[in-house]
Amino acid sequence: MNEVKAVIADDEAPLRQFLRARLSEVWPELVICGEAKNGKETLDLIERHSPHIAFLDIKMPGLTGMDVAEKIAGSCRIVFVTAFDEYAVEAFEKEAVDYLLKPVSKERLEKTVKRLKEDLASGAALPAEILQRLMVRLSREEGSGRLQYLRVQHGDGVRLIHVDDVIYFKAEDKYTAVITKEGESLVRKPIKELAEELDHEKFWQIHRGAIVNVRFIARMSRSLTGKGVVKLKDRSETLTISNAYMHLFKQM
Amino acid sequence: MKPTMEFRLDKKRVVTTLALTAAFNTVIALFLTHLGFGRGLGINFIFSQSIGLCMCAFILAGHYFVKRPSIALHALLLLIAMPAGAAAGAFVGAQIAGIPVSEILRGRPAYFIQMLFIGILFGTMITYFFFSRARLSQTEALLREEQINRLTLEKHTLETRLRLLQAQIEPHFLFNTLSNVLSLLESDPARGKAMLEDLTRYLRSSLSRTRDRMTTLGQEMDLVRAYLDICEVRMEERLHYTIEVPDKLRDMPFPPMLVQPLVENAVKHGLESKIEGGEILIKAEAQDGCYRLVVADTGSGLQGDAISGIGLANVRERLVALYEGKARLILEDNNPSGLKVTMEIPHE
Repeated sequence: MNEVKAVIADDEAPLRQFLRARLSEVWPELVICGEAKNGKETLDLIERHSPHIAFLDIKMPGLTGMDVAEKIAGSCRIVFVTAFDEYAVEAFEKEAVDYLLKPVSKERLEKTVKRLKEDLASGAALPAEILQRLMVRLSREEGSGRLQYLRVQHGDGVRLIHVDDVIYFKAEDKYTAVITKEGESLVRKPIKELAEELDHEKFWQIHRGAIVNVRFIARMSRSLTGKGVVKLKDRSETLTISNAYMHLFKQM
Repeated sequence: MKPTMEFRLDKKRVVTTLALTAAFNTVIALFLTHLGFGRGLGINFIFSQSIGLCMCAFILAGHYFVKRPSIALHALLLLIAMPAGAAAGAFVGAQIAGIPVSEILRGRPAYFIQMLFIGILFGTMITYFFFSRARLSQTEALLREEQINRLTLEKHTLETRLRLLQAQIEPHFLFNTLSNVLSLLESDPARGKAMLEDLTRYLRSSLSRTRDRMTTLGQEMDLVRAYLDICEVRMEERLHYTIEVPDKLRDMPFPPMLVQPLVENAVKHGLESKIEGGEILIKAEAQDGCYRLVVADTGSGLQGDAISGIGLANVRERLVALYEGKARLILEDNNPSGLKVTMEIPHE
């Protein structure tokens, strides 16, 4: 085999230099054909040089190391580099993917290099399905958590309201009215979609057009006609419970 | 304590109340017979039971209609229910005992009036007994509730403290910084040394402060500065910051680790993901009876109308715990891009 080429991608310059220096000690014949400081530069670099190996930092601005890996689709061997990321490390171990931990130690790098040399000889690359699984694992970790903030118009600007401050939601056509202690505002999302994203422990849908924050329920009573009615804390208005949602109050 | 009491009319309460009243009635009948009142134990027992149970039923019926009476309304209810119950009881008693109504209206004062008087006298005593019993059990319930609240709060405080500890020495940050220091020691030892000093400063102040409930805004700003200095070495031209805190506010008492998470959020979610980076402005001012702290970045901001998974839950929870809902955390889109977080804290 002729010369082996590699690129290094990391948004932090000292770390790129450090890895380059360690690589030159452990694998002097390796040609580093370029360094990139964000996802886009990395893609350009790989396209221009078609390297055999890419050392990819996971957290990079623009595109992450994972995004880059997906885009280049097996055109070169990938070694992920990360500082400390329990979830990523767990995922890499499970899928037997090459990775390095920052600060990169010489011993660890020697091991990785040995494996890379074997892989290059056999022609094995990172299969797309393994990459897919990795991405699912990592995105699940990041995107976890329920709806937290709602973007609403407030005076001249746009404000973000935390759902815990919402007393109740009221359907308004394609929009939803958000009622807080400070007033009423609209969010551009139908109540049906909101209902799916809210934490069901904290928010109860009591009507097709109303979701109430349990924290603000003072008590529930029945009107003369037998309909369930929710009385709110420190509020004069009451909300009607439709029969389909009465079961929520059976436990009270 | 609540000003009014709630009277729940469940089956258990009705049965115990009636049973206890019947027991009292028996005692009253024995007592009156012993004094030589009336026409013997049998008749006294019948009247005592019918008057007592009727009064009791009238009062319970009153509670059925008004479940949470105010003190005045409750007094009115008793004032009506007791004489009415006693009168009704006297007639019922006469029916059961087979005594004609004209009989009980005789006498001077009329037997009927005597019975009414005795009924109301004992009725007041018994009602007072039931009332204090209810108040006692309600106080106990309140106490229990308070205890549960306190325990929940304690558990919560402990959890928050633990999370705080983990948050401030975030492993990713620590290892990334150490990697930088290590590489700079080879390529640029002076900068590497400076960064190590920043890290030491950061670790020392954050670790020593976890134990303190209150520090000063100045100390928090020193921590933030150490943090940002480290980030600046790592991100180079992609991060610039300005801290505008008037000297007179530096001594203001301030809970630890409230601003730092906001700054960390601005770096992590605002600037790190943006290719060209941006600026962070940290500003403190005293205004309209509260302190206002602003952390604004020109980073990538928050996208979409419904946003999930940003790391400020910790700060919100601690603000609620520390200031009992009197502090506010306001998130806004920053102009032209990024996020602006304003924290309003009342003067102590």
